[in-house]
Amino acid sequence: MSNPSEINGGSAVAMIGKDCVAIACDLRLGLQSVTVSGDFEKIFQYGGNFVAFTGLATDVQTVSTELRQKHALYEMVEERSMEPNTAAHLVSSMLYSRRFAPWFVGPLVAGINSTTGEPYVCSFDSIGSMDVSHDFVVTGTATNQLYGMAESLYEKDMSPEQLFETISQTLLCAADRDAITGSGGLVYVIEKNGKVTKKLLKSRQD
Amino acid sequence: MSRFNPYGDSSGGSSLAIAGADFAILAGDTRHSTGFSIDSRDQSQIADLGDGLFLTSNGFSADAKQLVDDLRTQIKWYHHNNNDHKLSISAAARTTMMLLYGKRFFPYYVNPIMIGMADDGTGAVYSFDPLGSYDREPSRAAGHASELLMPFLDNQVTFANQLDPQTGEPRKRLDLDLQTAVDLVKDAFTGAAERQVQVGDTLEIVILTKDGVDRQYYDLRRD
Amino acid sequence: MQHTQEKWGRPRDDVYGPYDASYLNSEPRTQTLQPTVTGTSVIGMKFNNGVVIAADNLASYGSLRRFIDQERLIKVGSETVVGVGGDVSDLQTIEEIMEGLEISESYDEPAQSLTAPNIHSYLQRIMYKRRSKLDPLWNALVIGGFKNDEPYLAFIDLLGTTYTAPAVASGFGSYLAIPILRKLVDREGDQQNVSKEQAVDAIKEAMKVLFYRDGRALDKYSLAILSKKDGKPDVEILKDVRVENQNWSMAKQIKGFGTQDE
Repeated sequence: MSNPSEINGGSAVAMIGKDCVAIACDLRLGLQSVTVSGDFEKIFQYGGNFVAFTGLATDVQTVSTELRQKHALYEMVEERSMEPNTAAHLVSSMLYSRRFAPWFVGPLVAGINSTTGEPYVCSFDSIGSMDVSHDFVVTGTATNQLYGMAESLYEKDMSPEQLFETISQTLLCAADRDAITGSGGLVYVIEKNGKVTKKLLKSRQD
Repeated sequence: MSRFNPYGDSSGGSSLAIAGADFAILAGDTRHSTGFSIDSRDQSQIADLGDGLFLTSNGFSADAKQLVDDLRTQIKWYHHNNNDHKLSISAAARTTMMLLYGKRFFPYYVNPIMIGMADDGTGAVYSFDPLGSYDREPSRAAGHASELLMPFLDNQVTFANQLDPQTGEPRKRLDLDLQTAVDLVKDAFTGAAERQVQVGDTLEIVILTKDGVDRQYYDLRRD
Repeated sequence: MQHTQEKWGRPRDDVYGPYDASYLNSEPRTQTLQPTVTGTSVIGMKFNNGVVIAADNLASYGSLRRFIDQERLIKVGSETVVGVGGDVSDLQTIEEIMEGLEISESYDEPAQSLTAPNIHSYLQRIMYKRRSKLDPLWNALVIGGFKNDEPYLAFIDLLGTTYTAPAVASGFGSYLAIPILRKLVDREGDQQNVSKEQAVDAIKEAMKVLFYRDGRALDKYSLAILSKKDGKPDVEILKDVRVENQNWSMAKQIKGFGTQDE
């Protein structure tokens, strides 16, 4: 494992429901096969926007912090809150500014547009190529497992409760088939009315 | 001078098996590919070994074919030597292990899955690694989409991570009925064909019950 | 007396010479480490009543057009044709093996009992056995014929990998010819709606595209048409077929190399 994106492990997934979105990540931080932490959250909140970063942990912390600064500056200068698609473009251009010495992160953006009320999810590669999806996006070392789960469990127009159950099962079962993803999970469900529910998931600790 | 590489990346797409209380299912797509090229859209990867045994071997397809030929020969000799006695799946699985381990130092590059009805009438799934290590399991996926299929089977066949809504305890394992299992196979493969380019064209399902064998075919995406 | 223990019990250097350990660093003996004189693509497709196979007549030595009348379609038995791409010396080995098979099969039974599935299986086992000895026959084979009166078409490569399909091709053909042939026969059964003339036209079109874009292809080729007439197999091998209606007007548009006025 000399691939920087697979040293620390970790995965995340985001899904669109009816007037809601959910984003979830695992809590593991490891050094190759050795788990060093079980409370390493990979989802960061920027106003109404939720951004998950998987990949190299040092870059996860660097990029998430730098994005915090850029987000705060945007809200001060613009005197308005940032929409999810704006956050996504910001992440994209941040990553592309490092085109030839990239941060080894695989971000996801999830949120609900405050004017249109449209749910929004988006994923990126490590140099900022955007992939806006109408159903779900996944990232991390359990990418294949997450795709397998999400493709078969996902349905259109789920309620917040259904969406929570679906994204949780997707994350948990995918994590159990990836040795370097797991040690618990974290789920945010964001509703159109502004309600945000944060839940921790208990899972296998091996 | 680079050495000749006796292994290639030609293979069938993916396969999957589920064991039930009185049935066993083996499914695979009919796409055969080399790298990103589709060689054939109609190449069945499920081998009928006779004696109610079916086998798929994902990996290098020339080795897969050789393994099937070896097994057929073994079964033929078993019949000659034992007055046509039916080879049980547990014995067939051990035989498969012997063949695979026999090539420990020039391995068959395959992940075989075998199904049959066990001696006690229950459905049996046996899966192997390329060197012959094997086990009987409730379900197994192999091939290009194994990483996508396996967590779904954990979740839906063995109810991994599911809690009983009444008690809040882990949901009790119960044996799936046949129709549920077939529907799971279809869902799993349509999902896998969506994301794995080597999987597609047609889904072939072999259903084994005490009454015999049933084969079903379903369309998958062809791009 | 030898004073170094590791030399005890070993042949004396002064009598037998020093131990030759060079084999420890050597690789296994192999024959074809790379192909030398080669044929390019072989292509084939089914139609409602049989199979068409084509291979051009060029045997290249690297980029040199070494032999321009190399026959690469081999008739085996009375109703099967094997098209061979890759190393030409290995092609000749396969030719000899097929001759041997025909002779041994004709001792106790008439030779026409040899069908395409028989030959396919036999060749596959030879190819797989040779790759397992790390001494491969460096070829791609296309086998066309009949199985229970139905058209039969199969492919084998140097590793012993094999498959059947209504349209098959080796080498550049898998990128350039397959899309043309699959317009007519995409999946098994599609050949029911394809006539012999349509199949021959598609194969000729594919051979033209291959000649345009494959630098190791020739515009002279052999075309085998296998069909059933009143239940009897009919094998027609057309030789010295030319790529017709070539259009090189685009060549003038290509700038940057070659002889040009400007």
